[in-house]
Amino acid sequence: MLCAQRLWVRLQTLFRRERAAQLLDDELQFHLDEQIAENVAAGMSPQEARYAARRVFGNLSLLKEEARESWGWIWLEQIGQDLRYGLRMLRKSPGFTIVAVLTLALGIGANTAIFSLVDAALLRLLPVEKPEQLFRLTSINREGRTNDWFSYPTFKSLLEDNQTLSGLIAFHSLGNLDFVAGGKGELARGQAVSSRYFTTLGVRAILGRTITDADENASATPVAVISYGYWTSRFNRSASAVGAAVVLNGAPFTVIGVMPPEFFGLEPGQLVDVSIPLTSVALVQPQFAAAASPYDILTAPFRNWLHIMARLKEGQTESQAKANLAPIYEQAIREAAAGMHGLAFDSPGARRAFAEFRIELEPGSRGLTALRQQFSKPLTFLLAMASVLLLIACTNVANLLLTNGSSRQKELALRLALGAGRARVIRQLLTESVLLAAGGGAIGVVLAFAGSRSLVRLMSHSTSRIRLDVHPDARILAFTVLVSLIAVVVFGLFPACRDSRLDLSQAVKEAGQGRAAVPGRFRMTEGLVIAQIALSLVLTVGAGLLVRTLQNLKNFYPGFHEQNVLLFSIQRGMVGYTNSQVAELYEQIKAQIENTPGVSAVSFSTFSPLAGWSGFTDAAVEGYTPKPGDNPAISVNFVGPSYFRTLGTAVLTGRDIKEDDRTDSPKIAVINEAMAQHFFGARNPIGRRFSIPGWVGDPSQIEIVGVVENARFISIRGEVPPAAYIPFFQSPDSFLATTFEVRSTINPTSLAGSVGQLTQQTDNRLPLFDVRTLSDRIDESLVQERTVAFLSSLFGAVALFLTCVGLYGVMAGSVAQRTHEIGIRMALGAERLGVLKLVLGRGMVMALVGVFTGILASITVGQFMTALLFAVKPADGPTIVAASFLLIVVATVACCIPARRAMRVDPMVALKYE
Amino acid sequence: MGKPNDLVQGTLDLLILKTISLEPKHGWAIAKRIQQVSGEVLQVQQGSLYPALHRLEQKAWIRAKWAESDTGRKAKYYSLTAAGRAQLEKEAANWSRLSAAINLVVETT
Repeated sequence: MLCAQRLWVRLQTLFRRERAAQLLDDELQFHLDEQIAENVAAGMSPQEARYAARRVFGNLSLLKEEARESWGWIWLEQIGQDLRYGLRMLRKSPGFTIVAVLTLALGIGANTAIFSLVDAALLRLLPVEKPEQLFRLTSINREGRTNDWFSYPTFKSLLEDNQTLSGLIAFHSLGNLDFVAGGKGELARGQAVSSRYFTTLGVRAILGRTITDADENASATPVAVISYGYWTSRFNRSASAVGAAVVLNGAPFTVIGVMPPEFFGLEPGQLVDVSIPLTSVALVQPQFAAAASPYDILTAPFRNWLHIMARLKEGQTESQAKANLAPIYEQAIREAAAGMHGLAFDSPGARRAFAEFRIELEPGSRGLTALRQQFSKPLTFLLAMASVLLLIACTNVANLLLTNGSSRQKELALRLALGAGRARVIRQLLTESVLLAAGGGAIGVVLAFAGSRSLVRLMSHSTSRIRLDVHPDARILAFTVLVSLIAVVVFGLFPACRDSRLDLSQAVKEAGQGRAAVPGRFRMTEGLVIAQIALSLVLTVGAGLLVRTLQNLKNFYPGFHEQNVLLFSIQRGMVGYTNSQVAELYEQIKAQIENTPGVSAVSFSTFSPLAGWSGFTDAAVEGYTPKPGDNPAISVNFVGPSYFRTLGTAVLTGRDIKEDDRTDSPKIAVINEAMAQHFFGARNPIGRRFSIPGWVGDPSQIEIVGVVENARFISIRGEVPPAAYIPFFQSPDSFLATTFEVRSTINPTSLAGSVGQLTQQTDNRLPLFDVRTLSDRIDESLVQERTVAFLSSLFGAVALFLTCVGLYGVMAGSVAQRTHEIGIRMALGAERLGVLKLVLGRGMVMALVGVFTGILASITVGQFMTALLFAVKPADGPTIVAASFLLIVVATVACCIPARRAMRVDPMVALKYE
Repeated sequence: MGKPNDLVQGTLDLLILKTISLEPKHGWAIAKRIQQVSGEVLQVQQGSLYPALHRLEQKAWIRAKWAESDTGRKAKYYSLTAAGRAQLEKEAANWSRLSAAINLVVETT
């Protein structure tokens, strides 16, 4: 009650200030009049009475001021004054204001843009109920290797047997699906989810319903839940979307519901457009699902294809849940290992390794970590670069303020002389800085959102699009405000303290003559410019290293010639080919394509070059005793005839795989140098034998017939593992797709059409997918490196530009200030060239000191970049030299205009001016 | 240049609260009343009175109302609120304790 009364009184004095002031005047006037009346009654003349009354009253304005102060809003009034005054000052020098605001906008914008990516990819919590209760299941073995994938039977056991979870969900990313609605086809990103996925997460359909237990049944009508975005773009937000018939990869589905707009699935960066039950995977990816085979994803206990997330029961802890799940999981993987027996990629080692995994729980409130692992380093690095850029921008603005401060000395001196406290002056100057930062922040946010959208586009490529949900939200705006405030402190506080420390008499006397009364002002701006040059060098060197990394990766010889190779994949199982029919089919396709003009070689393989993954299995090599701790795993690829000729991988000894290496011919393999080195050292491996224990019907030994150079088939970075290439038709039955490699003498893209037609002629039911050139695939695999190199180069360029502007400003200021001195020098006979040297020399000294400091800094900072680099050291001589040279050129350019101005000083004018 | 009858701030608050505890008064009347009752010893400076009145009003111990004065002019009349009355009792009790204590010290030699 009392509080309410107080608030009421205070609000009245706040919002009805004019009236309150008027009432105060009336009240005091009444008092004065009473006093006068009393004085008159006491016998004074009216004139005398008035004077006496005023005398008693004292300083009326001070009294009013004190009364107003008791209202408690004085600080607000002063802020209002500061703001009004600050705006007026900024309007008075529009050039300064525009440069300062735009400079800050660049710095703040860069930070906000990168932060919005960091936020979307790494920080933001999932938009689900109580995300802190969510845990992601993963498993880890003794060597610390983790596995995030689980089989459907394992998922079922964990779901049914646990006592600690209120929910357990599994999901599987389907990648891009061909989505046809209303007769129009489009690619959609799909996922398969377990029945209680949506209810466990607490995500409600905004229209229709989500997937229920009844839907998770192979015989149920196939259903799909679509995203808000798809509902908008394909169904115009019509309520009739529910019940609509759609076609996914050729299979009919019925739309049952729409996801809310804020929910995109559990993997940041992989926005989901359509969700279907796990049991419907067989309809859209029949080859992968391998229904009714030993590899059936719904029954095979060793097919790990699901991510699992658990929601703990209220009051349960992570460790309780782990203790509860561990025995269930162990039982499940024991069964899985037993179930593997006799199938492809099985071996005692693989089975043992499989059974060694133990279950772990990881906080899942931010979703899965694949994207986080992939992007956290480059994003952190970019954020660091952006903050250095902001620092450079702040230095520029600080210098502008210092220069601007010199021209305001008279005004400041006057204010100080009239009794303004130093704190009050600092506050005034800081208010101006806050206004600048607010302007910069506002423009920066706009820049950032335009920028982050293009960034997301830049990072995504045709097949595995990274789609991050970046949109302006309170967190990001709060970040911008924070960054702007930090910027104010960095660029504003220092000059403000400096400017308010004036020698008054000196300032008032000299300010009119355009001289600096603050001691060492130019030394300080010079210091700032040197810091700026050093920071720019660090950014330029960083950008240079990343550009070189990208070049190195592009120029790196991966063990095959990527030019003029077209890749395409087919899934034979989709149309029901058995393994024995495949040989004829593939040879037919291969022969037809080989006869096309412009084609020089054709082959096919299970794993295509740089697909990002490969199959590993244990090998037992004749006459080789594994050393303790030795990893017997080798990578195995199944390849068609003339595979190495097609890709341009050199056969070092022995032979390529030939047409007559068939199912019934002797089992052979071609191995890579790494495998030869690992198992045979310097001895000749040709004619030696090895076996892959556990393959179906394959007790025989595999004879090594050739050695090829190491080729990077997983990714360009990293070590090449020991690898064996086995003839395609000698491989065990497999559910994997096959990739064809076509080498051409003409532009491979032009072949795409005819290759498609030829395949369709052979069998018109065979769909082609992933058609693209090998060079494109390499480019795609470097998308992250390219994005980071591009952005850091952009930051480097902006940094150079800002430094150039900063150096120019300081040099121009110093020349203007020394006009008089230069005039005297010239009058005394100094050569124009001498004057040029004087000015340029000064600039060059700053540049060199800056560059030297920068080199030391970049060598130190470079250590943190090692993980991002490829085939280049952090302290890379050529890069540092090139960056230093670039900075010195930029510095020279920045000094040239002021130097020319100095050279043209007319001694007569300069002296008269004085 | 000292101010001879400057009152300790807390004391002025007490005097104001006490003075208006019987009936609402305007600023001039409060100053006069304090002067009279104290036998002209306590002279309240306008420079202290009005800021003090506004401060007490902000604390919601007193409330103001514009009303016609004896001379027929509009004047601002201050009166105690419930919270002000409680505050007066507290401050009066404090004052008695304090003055009694000072008396003890001053008169015991």
